[in-house]
Amino acid sequence: MIKYKLFFQQCIRSKEVWISLVLITILGIVGIIIGSKHLERQQNAIAEVRAHQEEHFDRQVSLHNEDLGLLLYYAKFAYINDLDPLSGLSIGQADVNPTVQRITIKTFEGQKFDTDLVNPMNLQSGNLDLSFVIIYLFPLLVIVLTFNLISEETETGTWRLVSIQARSKLGFIISKLLVRFALLFVVLIFLFLVAKFMLNIPLNRDFLLMIGLSFLYLVFWFSLSFFVIIYKKSTGFNALLLLSIWLVLIILLPAGINAYVSSKYPVPEAMSTAIAQRDGYHVKWDTDKLATIKKFYAHYPQFEKYGYPTDGFNWLWYYAMQQMGDDDSKKEREALSSKIELREQTSRWIASVVPNMHLQLYFNQLAGTSMGQHMNYLQDTEAFHESLRLFFYPKIFEQQHADTVDWKQFKPEYHKAKADLVPMQGMLPLLVASILLIALAVPKIRRL
Amino acid sequence: MKWANVRLFALNFWSNATKPKTFFLLYAIFMLLTAYAAVGSIQKHITQNDIRLEHQKKARQSWEANPDKHPHRMAHFGTFAFRINPSLAMFDYGIESFTGNTVFLEAHRQNSVNFSEATFSTGTLRFGELSLALLLQLVLPLILFFIGFSGVALDKQNGTLKILLSQGATWKEILFGKSIGLFAVSMIFFIPIILIVAISLLVFTSQIADDFLWMRMLLISLGYLMFLFIVSSITIVVSTQSNSPKNALLKLLGVWLLMVVLLPKSAQAMGNYWFPTPTKLAFQSTIEKEVIQKGDSHNPDDPHYNHLRDSVLTVHKVSKVTDLPFNYSGFVMREGEKITSTLYRKHHANLVEVYQNQNDVTRFTAFVNPFTAIKQLSMIMSGTDFASYIDFQNQADDYRYKLAQTMNELQMEYISPKKKSGSEGKVHVVDHEHWEEFSDFSHQPMSFSNSISAGLPALMAMLLWIGLAFLLLVYTSKKAKAI
Repeated sequence: MIKYKLFFQQCIRSKEVWISLVLITILGIVGIIIGSKHLERQQNAIAEVRAHQEEHFDRQVSLHNEDLGLLLYYAKFAYINDLDPLSGLSIGQADVNPTVQRITIKTFEGQKFDTDLVNPMNLQSGNLDLSFVIIYLFPLLVIVLTFNLISEETETGTWRLVSIQARSKLGFIISKLLVRFALLFVVLIFLFLVAKFMLNIPLNRDFLLMIGLSFLYLVFWFSLSFFVIIYKKSTGFNALLLLSIWLVLIILLPAGINAYVSSKYPVPEAMSTAIAQRDGYHVKWDTDKLATIKKFYAHYPQFEKYGYPTDGFNWLWYYAMQQMGDDDSKKEREALSSKIELREQTSRWIASVVPNMHLQLYFNQLAGTSMGQHMNYLQDTEAFHESLRLFFYPKIFEQQHADTVDWKQFKPEYHKAKADLVPMQGMLPLLVASILLIALAVPKIRRL
Repeated sequence: MKWANVRLFALNFWSNATKPKTFFLLYAIFMLLTAYAAVGSIQKHITQNDIRLEHQKKARQSWEANPDKHPHRMAHFGTFAFRINPSLAMFDYGIESFTGNTVFLEAHRQNSVNFSEATFSTGTLRFGELSLALLLQLVLPLILFFIGFSGVALDKQNGTLKILLSQGATWKEILFGKSIGLFAVSMIFFIPIILIVAISLLVFTSQIADDFLWMRMLLISLGYLMFLFIVSSITIVVSTQSNSPKNALLKLLGVWLLMVVLLPKSAQAMGNYWFPTPTKLAFQSTIEKEVIQKGDSHNPDDPHYNHLRDSVLTVHKVSKVTDLPFNYSGFVMREGEKITSTLYRKHHANLVEVYQNQNDVTRFTAFVNPFTAIKQLSMIMSGTDFASYIDFQNQADDYRYKLAQTMNELQMEYISPKKKSGSEGKVHVVDHEHWEEFSDFSHQPMSFSNSISAGLPALMAMLLWIGLAFLLLVYTSKKAKAI
């Protein structure tokens, strides 16, 4: 025990170690604050939408009580992607993609990808959230704490003493590493504790998994550092090599992979869908009304009882046209979603061999802020849209008055992101990478 | 300070730096990265523009294919504006991936610009994008640090420095010489990149000529030359002030981390915190409220429109709107479009100002952080910056306004005054020749003079830093100690 106490004292004696530990703690807390601000902003937006929606319906009903079709041309219904508190730790794509959507029952494709008000400069700079601190900065700290662990002893001449006196040289190195690992782990746990109380995160499986994965990520970087320093090169060389590895793993490799994915799978389908949905609806103003209504009834046979009114303007025909915006762009829409899925799959597949990318994507999934989960939200929004249509179509076609509808039932609705994750899938890439590095170091350990 | 000696130190530094095998390894890796980034960026630029132009054409074809119809239907049929990727985006992506590139333009409504690359990306985009500019801004400085950190510190450690000084060399000569030497080394990384960009511009010039393309290129090159000299001299200064190469390296890495990662990120976060963006709902409902206050064309008892109607009737000396010599409903819509657009533009300008305020925090850190200065200058001159994006938004909205008002005027002129409302059917229609007459949207790249005014602070910061680099070298040479 006394050995560890001495190692600990030796480690924290250096000013640089203290500075870097304090710095990372502060940055971690700043990250948590940024995350909580993000959540707070969403909560404010939700409160605003809730307050507005009631008022909005009141106004619409008072304006267009006799014309439900016209009312629903204007009426907007909120559908909210309710962020998990964990998303404060890993904001992911939740800043690019809107989390509060207000939709009308008109063509869904025309509103699906509407963006929120965002400053693109903020998006480019990215969020300094806790996941950033863990993924980018903790590895640097691991490097700072370990790069001269052995080389310092050889350069100051104490290594010979150690090799004579220590029972095991490997044991000596490992105990020194363990002390540093414990120190960083304490900082990590402290940050997660702060996060738990600041963001009110429940102590559930996903949160524990996040902590567990961060633990394994530290293990990976310690193994990597161990693998490098065991070669007993000079301090400067170790620093250079470890930092180059950091640069390649954390910046160049992900940037290169992203460039690969985005140039391999461009998304022209998005624009084609946009044009197809516009034409699908607008062209119907000039085509045969009967054909449009027939197509509409082919989709919804249950409404056929409302007949085929083709004289002048009527809402049945109008909403049938709007429906065609969605129905006629089906092919393009499906191509778009399969392209997006392809992109996500490819990224995830490649990421599984790059620990930091893997961790980022996995964190986002745990937090419900991944691209795939946003697509799920859009799918659910579509289902919500469909339920609104099914509710209102017959009322419009029967020319009911707006005050026969109970508008109070239309509160903003919520979507909760699901993360169907197998914990082992999250841990495996990190474990494999660590074990691989340690295994590679074995021949060198023998010749310490 | 004798120039012959400065040259000697520079040449000596050059040959020491370029001799080791590790240098060739580093250089080879850097060149591979350059090639990968270049191929990727050029390919991306070409495919993206092909996709966008193709869709612009497609959207236009369906616009022109419209039969004779009521002009208000055309105003809603609308069209799309696709943003063009500027030629220099091959070099610096700027914020391209985070800005939308498609906007649907129709009457009464200002739609959002959608489909940014980021919308369709996983979290991996946030690690950064591999462009040639990224290599110059982020990787090359690190390489210069690696090459130069021991520049003076090693001489100090092994005692060479004392010999040099005792033989008559001055600190100034040593510092300037080594900085110039390091700067020269940086050129063998820099020149290939700039050549690649120049050749790509010649070979792959897009249909749309960017304003003052070569002037932009020249400013970018000058900017990076200044930047690389600043980095070189900072490296030598830090190396001089450290008592061992190891310390110099650690200090330089700290500088890199602070200036490349932490400072820019926290500056932007700070801006975002100090100047909060309004929610979309708040933004839209404020405009809506003001529109209703000013005049609600949907309200039959609206005082503004009632007054307007009465005065129009008096001027034309008729008693009913259907007796007017033009279609009154088109006239009302023209008035409505004017009111809503003016209000929208006012609020949108306020919103852009909020964004500007957020960005200004970053912009002004350029004066303490040369890495930010070059980043800003580079993307502004490449036309991939915030101002260029807002410029596109404004162009698209101007076109939208013109489209809506042209259709309203067609309605006033050609639709019978007897037709009070509604746009359905084949009776009250306008000849389809008019659709072709209304020219298509074409995105004009940001004008050079606007880029210059956006880039002025960054350019000034760069010049300031050059001065500062010289001062630092002189100052250090006076204070430096040989041990």
